[in-house]
Amino acid sequence: MTAASIQGMAPRGTRWIGRGALIRRLLRRPEGLIGLSILVVFVFLAAIPNLIVGPLQTAVTATGGRLTPPSAVHLFGTDELGRDVLNQTVHGARISLAIGLLATLVTVAIGAVVGIVAGFIGGWLDAILMRITDFFLVLPTFVLALILTPIIRELVGSATTEVFGIRMTLIVIVIVIGITSWSSTARIIRSQTLSLRERAFVDRARSIGAGSGHIMRRHILPNVINLIVANAVLTFAGAVLTETTLSFVGLGDPFQPSWGQLLEAARASGAPGLGAWWYFVPPGVCIVLVVLAFTLVGSALDDLLNPKRQGRR
Amino acid sequence: MRPTLRRRAIRALAACALALSVLLPGVGPAGAAGPLILRAGTDQDLQVLNPFNSVVVADFEVFTLNYDLLVNFGPDIEPVPGFAESWTQSADGLTWTFKIRPGMKWSDGQPATSEDARWTYQTILDGVASERGYLGEGYLEGYLTDSGVKTVKAPDPTTLTVTTEFATPLLLQAYVPILPKHIWSKYSLAQIGDPKVTGFFKNEPPIVGTGPYQVVEWKPGEFIRFARNKNYWGTQGAADEVIIQHFASGDTMVQALKTGEIDYVRGVLADQFNALKNEPNIATVAGIANGYTELSFNTGGKKKGYGGSTTALSDVAFRDALGYAIDNQKLVDTTLGGYGTPGSTIIPPFHTRWHVEPDKPRKFDIEEAKRRLDAAGYKLDANGKRLDKDNKVINLRLTWPDSEAENATNAQFIVEWFGQLGITVTAAVTEEGKLIDDVTGPPEGPADYDIYMWGWVGDPDPTSLLKFFQTSEIGSSSDSYYSNPHYDDLFKQQRAESDPAKRKTILAEMQNLVYDEAPYHILYYDAELHAYRTDKFAGWTNQPTQGGTPLFGYGSRGYTLLTDAAAVPSAPPSAAASSDTGSASGAPGASAPASTTPGSNASNSSLPLILGSIALVIIVAVGLVVMRGRRRTVEEE
Amino acid sequence: MKVGYLGRRLASAAVTIVLIAIINFILFRAMPGSPERVLLHGTPNVTPQILQQTRERWGLDKPVFPDQFVAYVGSTIRGDLGFSFLARGQTVSEVLAQRIWPTVILFGLGEMLAIVLGLALGAYSGWRRGGAVDYVGNGISLILYSTPYFLLGMAFLLLFATTLHWFPTFGMLQAGAQYPGLWERFLDFLGHLVLPLATVAFGLVGQYAIVMRSSIVETLSEDYVTTARAMGLRDGRVLRRHALPNALLPTVSLVAINLGYVVAGAITVEVVFNWPGLGTLAVEALTARDYPVLQGVFLLLGVSVVIANLIADLVYGALDPRVRT
Repeated sequence: MTAASIQGMAPRGTRWIGRGALIRRLLRRPEGLIGLSILVVFVFLAAIPNLIVGPLQTAVTATGGRLTPPSAVHLFGTDELGRDVLNQTVHGARISLAIGLLATLVTVAIGAVVGIVAGFIGGWLDAILMRITDFFLVLPTFVLALILTPIIRELVGSATTEVFGIRMTLIVIVIVIGITSWSSTARIIRSQTLSLRERAFVDRARSIGAGSGHIMRRHILPNVINLIVANAVLTFAGAVLTETTLSFVGLGDPFQPSWGQLLEAARASGAPGLGAWWYFVPPGVCIVLVVLAFTLVGSALDDLLNPKRQGRR
Repeated sequence: MRPTLRRRAIRALAACALALSVLLPGVGPAGAAGPLILRAGTDQDLQVLNPFNSVVVADFEVFTLNYDLLVNFGPDIEPVPGFAESWTQSADGLTWTFKIRPGMKWSDGQPATSEDARWTYQTILDGVASERGYLGEGYLEGYLTDSGVKTVKAPDPTTLTVTTEFATPLLLQAYVPILPKHIWSKYSLAQIGDPKVTGFFKNEPPIVGTGPYQVVEWKPGEFIRFARNKNYWGTQGAADEVIIQHFASGDTMVQALKTGEIDYVRGVLADQFNALKNEPNIATVAGIANGYTELSFNTGGKKKGYGGSTTALSDVAFRDALGYAIDNQKLVDTTLGGYGTPGSTIIPPFHTRWHVEPDKPRKFDIEEAKRRLDAAGYKLDANGKRLDKDNKVINLRLTWPDSEAENATNAQFIVEWFGQLGITVTAAVTEEGKLIDDVTGPPEGPADYDIYMWGWVGDPDPTSLLKFFQTSEIGSSSDSYYSNPHYDDLFKQQRAESDPAKRKTILAEMQNLVYDEAPYHILYYDAELHAYRTDKFAGWTNQPTQGGTPLFGYGSRGYTLLTDAAAVPSAPPSAAASSDTGSASGAPGASAPASTTPGSNASNSSLPLILGSIALVIIVAVGLVVMRGRRRTVEEE
Repeated sequence: MKVGYLGRRLASAAVTIVLIAIINFILFRAMPGSPERVLLHGTPNVTPQILQQTRERWGLDKPVFPDQFVAYVGSTIRGDLGFSFLARGQTVSEVLAQRIWPTVILFGLGEMLAIVLGLALGAYSGWRRGGAVDYVGNGISLILYSTPYFLLGMAFLLLFATTLHWFPTFGMLQAGAQYPGLWERFLDFLGHLVLPLATVAFGLVGQYAIVMRSSIVETLSEDYVTTARAMGLRDGRVLRRHALPNALLPTVSLVAINLGYVVAGAITVEVVFNWPGLGTLAVEALTARDYPVLQGVFLLLGVSVVIANLIADLVYGALDPRVRT
């Protein structure tokens, strides 16, 4: 969320770096290395949870006693219904990361489109789009999310179809996060587009008669893609945090518990007061690690792609 | 720069730490001397002080402390003297004569007479007769209309006469607080009932009543405080003040009980309850709730005006068969952590006088369920899915309101069990507002659901739990759209029956009828898990004696029977250990104020704080010293 | 400051507030569940006539546009936000007024504390780049930034209140306590304030530290600073006179941007500590379907953020002459 806004505070140029080179340089930085390694571990967990811990345990298939501490059988202990916390946490990785990914895609898609169009076309369209963007930046997005979620749930209906294996109840969260978070991305992309617009290759394209849409797609977009990627990484971190907070106030789905939902379930069952630390420490630590990892990678990417900060460290 | 900055930083930090360590020991409530205060915690927030506008349990607890009912509720919810000292019923049962206690005073000193009672009842009747048909939220009217009250008269200051349309004992269970006429009659009917009218009477503290404690302070969202009513006619409880506090989180509430910051909690979770059993000076009580959680069927099915997805829902045989696929005990064990009772009939066991077990009970038996489904004509197709009588695969939508989150666990089981029968159940939570709309029956609403879970809470009299099965309630409070003319007859009969034995027979028939025809499967009767400290107050008495809780029951006895635990023990506790899993530490007074005396956090907080501050200063100093050893220039990259 | 700049900013803020009010209206009407049924839920004996009367009472029987909309705009301008569904008899304005000060105190102080601490930490590590304090400080800032507020709050609660008994576990004051004097009351309030305040401050400090640090780093590379030092100016003075003011600019805009996001933290921290502010009110209103109150909270917060941004813009304009075009 706000890291992205830190990113956008001073207009920056961008440098074209090939992808392979980018990753290599990323790995050479300590925060890039740490961040990426953490991410790799979690992506692995999220991709094949069933292979690692078996299918998601439900109240019906719970194997342990209530709120038992970690043991040889249950490495992270059990929750109030007897489900294995390790099992829940690993599956939670899939759900939290999937929601984060989808939300980021929505956020970045809207933000990039708005930013490029506003920055390139300019004029009254720019003014209107920026008005809307600023408006969304100013709204208390969390309360908006609280209010929007029931509304969108009603629109979407009680459908139980799944998108990428995520139930519609959580897709609602994805949509809500998308609607409330795109504005800082739009701002950043727009200022980048503004500076690109004045560059020579754009004039050349125009002089041979290329249309605006073509220029935006073929010339502007590839040059902002690096920035978009860096921003997307930071947005991901924000999306995970937002989803966690929304679950904490009860908007999650107990049938597909994300880490946030696990924390809320832990709180609701009285785990903190009972000293059942094993219930909320694993999901909590996972959230912190994942958000940290994304932030590290995001800020490293930002360093790499910003010529002003080159050679400083 | 560096030495100066560092030195300044150290000095600043040390100053802060010192300041904190001096100030914070003073933190904490004022010393133990002063009034004896009972602090109770609940997670339900008090909403309003005007009885006509309230529907919430927390509100009613306030009213029963502040006001008397005409007839109070005794140890087993039976009628006992309240505002009225005694009463008689005429031979034809249509006239009641109440003897109002002489010499009663309102808390402000004014005399309390039958005129106050007459005025209160008459105001409600006026509300019924008015254009709207009710005052405020319309919660109090039912107690009088259900009893068929016609007229109310106060021939002299100690007599109240009430006439009714039909003979019924329900009048004695009217949960209507008696209000002081001299305060309330200044306001018009609209000003009493409608918040939007200018001059709306909010009934702000200090509230005048005849109950044992009067509200003197209310901070919405936080707490409500009562002070002793010096003019109270009954036994004075040991507490000089009572504070009911609101907690947003149940977890914080339990922690506050453990630290002694509060003395009583209502609404503890099963696991917390288990943990509290082992705490010293804390007693736990598992009461049976006056209510239940049910699985309701859309018995309208696919009939015109109803939004069910299959005709099977309208078939008694189908619903009955499904009842064999629900293991109520398992739900109690898992969802409720073992605290609760497996469900059966629509009058909860809380009503010891009226509850009956079904004549033909169902047992959990998946195979039996399958057999019954087959016998009723619901065959399996090639994929093992059940077909209804239109040869369509049966897919049931299961839902519940997001305000009842524990149903998610029940849902997982239902999906599993019905799945074994070949019926696919898709479960999803529905936003409460939308759900209310969805389940409203025709012609007012779409009746759009298949099966859903919610709960009901009862009144001292079971009538309110029987009402919504009437045919006339479809489109209003009926959410299963059950319709049986015989049931409707029985309902009217039981309401008018004064002989308890005869009434029980009628109620037994009604309970069995609904059980057999199964518009609802009652999943379980919830438990009321409460806990309280035994080192401050003693004399905790459950109401009802079997399976009740000391506070948040019906009436103020739980408060007035309390004694000071620090005082010399006199009589043994009255029925304090009657609950099934109540802990044994109910012994009063015998224990001197325990080491964890409430409210004395101040005394044991200063030492660790001082130590902590010193530790902080040392850590910072060490850190800075370490820094000094690693001199670096700023220009280095 | 040019009048044009001021005027433009004010106009922009006004438009935004109007937009917020309109969105508020639309959202409320779009909420699931007919309001009249939500109002009456739990009331027994609801007949169709009662439903109809309720609709009339609350003006729900008129067409949404224009009648209801006009009524809404009119009453909002007058400051009448309607009546709370749950707290019968209280207007939304009353309900909000009761809960606003605790939130303002908690977050005002928290934000200020975070800024002071964050700037100090960031300045120190920016100045001494590469030192252990830098790495540790940076690391801690990042970790704090990645932690959801409520998690931090729960950890503090568990450690300092439940286990160590250093602080009370909930609320703003001991409920109903009678204090001998103002000082004791203030102390009790302080004691209750420490943990939630620490949570808010620690949650926010990371961002300010990071921002401050990178601003200092950038400023330090500027020529005039090198010159100043070469001229023999002491570091402390250079820091205060040159580096700090320039680093304040991005901080100011960060504060403004932050305000919207801080609200999310507000709600969860208040819930964890049972702090009787707008956050707990929002959650209670959501749970109880008290839509008018929820709508009122949204409006209030939205307007506050707009005003805060306005002030930040004006301050920014005053600080940075480059901006006033």
